[in-house]
Amino acid sequence: MAKQIKFEYDGNEYTLEFTRKSIEQMERQGFVASEITEKPMLTLPALFAGAFLAHHRYLKREIVDKIFDKFTNKQELIGKLAEMYNEPILALMDEPEESEGNIQWGASW
Amino acid sequence: MGSELVESPAPPSSITYTEQFYENFPFYLSIGMTYDQYWNDDCTLTKYYRKAHEIKNARKNQELWLQGMYVYDALCKVSPILHAFAKSGTKPEPYPTKPYPVTKEEIKETTEQRRKADRQKAKASFMNWANQLKLPSAKEDVKKNGTNNR
Repeated sequence: MAKQIKFEYDGNEYTLEFTRKSIEQMERQGFVASEITEKPMLTLPALFAGAFLAHHRYLKREIVDKIFDKFTNKQELIGKLAEMYNEPILALMDEPEESEGNIQWGASW
Repeated sequence: MGSELVESPAPPSSITYTEQFYENFPFYLSIGMTYDQYWNDDCTLTKYYRKAHEIKNARKNQELWLQGMYVYDALCKVSPILHAFAKSGTKPEPYPTKPYPVTKEEIKETTEQRRKADRQKAKASFMNWANQLKLPSAKEDVKKNGTNNR
């Protein structure tokens, strides 16, 4: 099972996940993962927005940005998003593991 | 000399994730993944498809090996009559009446059957040997000694 972040915002349930297609789309739009350290202010919101493409493709960017602003513990969130972003490529090389749990994510508001 | 090769930083990898995905895509199509599964479904599916592919390969290898064993066995069984100077009336050995035991249960059953057949054979040959010796029977023993020593 792929790693996901689930949360509720404004009465709607959201699932963040990266698929190969969503990564392809992000890269086509100019996203470069290696720039995360050089241009964090640009890259991090883009990474967060990219995680919506798999399950909420048509969600407006304004709402995504609002959600991003409301997220607490961003440091950990970014780490987890980066882990999720790498998963589709790692899954082409890794052996199946016995237990792969999803991230349990709870919004604090 | 040559230190510039060691000191100069490695050029950044220009291969994007997308390129990697496209490079691997034909392999996963060849092992049965669909376009949608590869691109849009759970990304970890590839691990399980790869594992399933390994299992399939191992099973196919096992089947081919078994087939080879049957062919080899058949050739061995028929080889007496393939001999150019075989005596007239030479017959091939019969082909195995049953498939080779493969599962644990089958192996256990076959071993047990073979053991039973060996015991029967040993018993029969012992009886033959005993009959040839013409040992006095128990009745005759009683008549002679007046007692039953058993």
